Amino acid sequence: MSEPTRYPIKSDPDAELVRAARADQAAAFPELVKRYERALYNFGLKMCGVASDAEDLVQDTFLNVYRYLDGFRNETKFKNWVYRIAASICIKKRRKSKFAPDRELSLDEFLPTDETAVEGDVPAWAALPLDRVLNDELRRKLQEAILALPEKYRVVLVLRDVEGFSTEESAQILNLTPANVKVRLHRARLFLRDHLKSYFDNV
Amino acid sequence: MSEHTPHNHPDFRCRELFARMSEYLDNELDGSLCREIEGHLNECQACKVCLSTLKRTVALCREAGAAPIPETLSRRLRELIATLAKP
Ligand SMILES: [Zn+2]
Repeated sequence: MSEPTRYPIKSDPDAELVRAARADQAAAFPELVKRYERALYNFGLKMCGVASDAEDLVQDTFLNVYRYLDGFRNETKFKNWVYRIAASICIKKRRKSKFAPDRELSLDEFLPTDETAVEGDVPAWAALPLDRVLNDELRRKLQEAILALPEKYRVVLVLRDVEGFSTEESAQILNLTPANVKVRLHRARLFLRDHLKSYFDNV
Repeated sequence: MSEHTPHNHPDFRCRELFARMSEYLDNELDGSLCREIEGHLNECQACKVCLSTLKRTVALCREAGAAPIPETLSRRLRELIATLAKP
């Protein structure tokens, strides 16, 4: 595997914590766990769909963070490094997901067909204020749709659109080129959009 | 009967925009391309609908919210911390 492209680190909100952990890892570890347990658990939920798998992921990630912290060289934000570990655990596990067969998504399969592209208004689910659209049922549908994404698209979508990492950061975390991240993200979004569209067409 | 329907996306500009819509939403395109796209959006309802549904899809992902961590996980992590703290 090639080394990821290096980007200059402006400021790392975890710099202090990482310094403390270098001095006394056992003492700094509880704070480190506190800082990332919830984010990693939610990352795991989105990636695996099953709470127990997400719990395993969080535990394995922290264990690896503990083991390899000495090797962390500040070449990236600490948070990105943590997610790099989490993502690689996810991808290694690659349990045969019953939701999502591994396949390529092509742009063409998402091109609006004549029928859906007729001149019409923006549908209510895209036009109404967000808080009038988002409810628990939709959250469930969205989660289902995310889990139905092939894994290599899912991980990009979760990092970019759920966790809020930038294109460059996601590329770094996944060892991909930024161009590749963009391609996968766009197809993943179109995939979700189609799922949402058919959900709302049938409500 | 082969009347051209302008909005079944055969237009290359529609296809081009369709391919770059995420980059447009993410502000990753340069200014002249953005202006070109905005010009097209003003006159193409199909692309406008396409863009707003895609934009909403992204917003829903961002706003879907994070679950609290379950007690079972808190316990496991406390145990992990205790194990690692042992000399
Ligand atoms: Zn168009």
